[in-house]
Amino acid sequence: MTRPEVGGSPASMKARTVWPGALGVGASGLGLFFSAFSTHDYALHLDRQLHGTHCSFVPGLVDASGGDNGCTAAMYSAFSAVLRAKYWGGVPISLFAVGAYAAFIGLALYVLIGRHTASVRFMRGYAMATVFPLIASIVMFVIALTQLGAFCKLCVGLYFSSGVLFASGVLAFMQSSVGATKPAPAPAPRPVDPETTVRDPDPWGAVAEANPPAPPVTMEARAKGPGFAPKGSAITPLAVLATVGVAAALPALVWVASLPKYDAALLACGTLQVVTDKAHSLVKISTTSPVQPAITFEDPLCPTCRAFHQRLEAEGLLDQLDYTLSLFPLDNECNWMLDRPLHPGACIVSRALICADEQGKGRMFLDWAYQEQEDLAAAGKSGPAPLKAKIEARFPGLAACSDDKKTKQRLDKQLQFAVDNKIKVSTPQMFLGDRRLCDEDTDLGLRFAFAKLAPKVK
Amino acid sequence: MQRAAIVAALGGTAALVGALLFVSSDVKAAGHRLAHPEEKVAAPSAAVADHAEAPYCTPQFKEVLRRVVDACGLVGETDRRGCAPVDVKSFASISDADFLALFTPLEKRGAILMFDDAQDALDDGARTILKDTWEDRRGAQFFFTVARASKPGGQALNKALSQKRANSVMFLLQEQSKEPDLDKKVGLLWLGSEYAQLPQDYCGTWQNSRKDKKCNAEAINRSAFVSWVDCRL
Repeated sequence: MTRPEVGGSPASMKARTVWPGALGVGASGLGLFFSAFSTHDYALHLDRQLHGTHCSFVPGLVDASGGDNGCTAAMYSAFSAVLRAKYWGGVPISLFAVGAYAAFIGLALYVLIGRHTASVRFMRGYAMATVFPLIASIVMFVIALTQLGAFCKLCVGLYFSSGVLFASGVLAFMQSSVGATKPAPAPAPRPVDPETTVRDPDPWGAVAEANPPAPPVTMEARAKGPGFAPKGSAITPLAVLATVGVAAALPALVWVASLPKYDAALLACGTLQVVTDKAHSLVKISTTSPVQPAITFEDPLCPTCRAFHQRLEAEGLLDQLDYTLSLFPLDNECNWMLDRPLHPGACIVSRALICADEQGKGRMFLDWAYQEQEDLAAAGKSGPAPLKAKIEARFPGLAACSDDKKTKQRLDKQLQFAVDNKIKVSTPQMFLGDRRLCDEDTDLGLRFAFAKLAPKVK
Repeated sequence: MQRAAIVAALGGTAALVGALLFVSSDVKAAGHRLAHPEEKVAAPSAAVADHAEAPYCTPQFKEVLRRVVDACGLVGETDRRGCAPVDVKSFASISDADFLALFTPLEKRGAILMFDDAQDALDDGARTILKDTWEDRRGAQFFFTVARASKPGGQALNKALSQKRANSVMFLLQEQSKEPDLDKKVGLLWLGSEYAQLPQDYCGTWQNSRKDKKCNAEAINRSAFVSWVDCRL
């Protein structure tokens, strides 16, 4: 007679602790909380309006804030969503986190409540699954560090959650063998009783006394005590991973199925009345593979123009444009449509850009002006001389050229082009062909709008 | 084991279903706001790009400007270009002095092109100053040319001469700018000798094309004054 395979060696009789499960439940709840807030902020913008973001470590306790912050920067970046050309705004990355963390709540609960009986392979599958949120966090962290230059607090909350979840996975892995079933040791050889016969192998009951039968193992005992964890099926880890994967995908499917239709709204922002630059005054910005004619109205000292320009570059759209720039400085030194300067010095920078264009350096100057915008704007507020000095230091000769009568007249003609087209006194504005790209589609909906209005752009 | 599995499955499912409902309601709410724009927070509407509006654009000035623009075919679909004096008389129901005063604010913006006696040809000085004035458009919508003739000579002769001088300006603008819609920008007025004469002080206050030559009341009226007008209509 052998003992049932439910025991273990003395070492394996140690109990699994509550820590893997408890940490897992806590981290999953936290991850779900942060990812849900991030998704909520993203979903708010699906109405194409401007909204604040809950950029806080305690988002529920703090109101959404407008303006620039790390969360807004992350949300408007090209890395915040996938399938942006197919769906307006795309499918936010945070959605996958919502589903995954919801699944992890269930898995971690099982690790916590059923810790004594959870199979070895389940524990190891759970541990493997916790690696994926961590990898996602590391990737997003590197992107935030290298591409965005800003950290979103909700994202940091998710990084933390994934780290703690991974720690719970490591603990689960370490404890996976604790309490695992092992083959019972072979019975010790016993002395041969000369009085035994085939019919009565234990005539004096000595063997039975030395090896009493094991008591029956009840379910209660299995639940309470250590040492009853089965090895589990080989497909268990795969089932755990599949559970997380399916759960991660479900919110994205619901998102896509619930999205409103945007096609009509895309076409509702008007057209350019005069496409031809009869005065030949506009600035041609060189690009590498132009396939889509585009006219933009920009102010080189306008922060929104810079953000838009950089977004076009980051999305790989800029170099596919046959890009014509109509300068529209929001500075009443040259722009008669304003009664005060919104961006002092913008006229000087615009005229310098015209001069750079005449030297074939239009794109170079524009990129530089956007890159150095904060310094140029600060110099512009100090007066024309410091601003011209900055321009002259980088592009010798342009400051003098920008004061030339012909340069001023060319800028006037660009402003007249804006008047002829009755555009709004606002920058930036982009026309793809003659169709105006709505302001509402210049951030989250940019890729989608391009796919509809400029299908040649890939 | 079963109890733990059931509790865990229920917990996980509840979290997932809750998340799905949350996502669905959030997206649908955005769709509702998108479909009902009247519920949007009203944003201040941006102004539309327009021509310049200078301080001298008084209601009285604009009234004259509007009549000239309407009567001279600068707006609308009429083919007319230029205004005969009779047109001016029909609307300029103000005194000569007041009529002239309306254009005083243009003295820093415009210029006076001077002609030889009984001639309508533009000399080099006039051509240069016309080109410079034309190119200094800035935000203006209309370019005014008001041609005149001095008193000597008959009224009919002066009227015809005034018209020829206005046309000389127009022809040169056509030649230089090559703009197809010039007719919609340039307003021509030709005033005969019976209309208000420019006083001699215009010789000093206005930029003229013959700075080195003698300027008197007679000479300043053998002229055409040209200027962009920074008023919106």
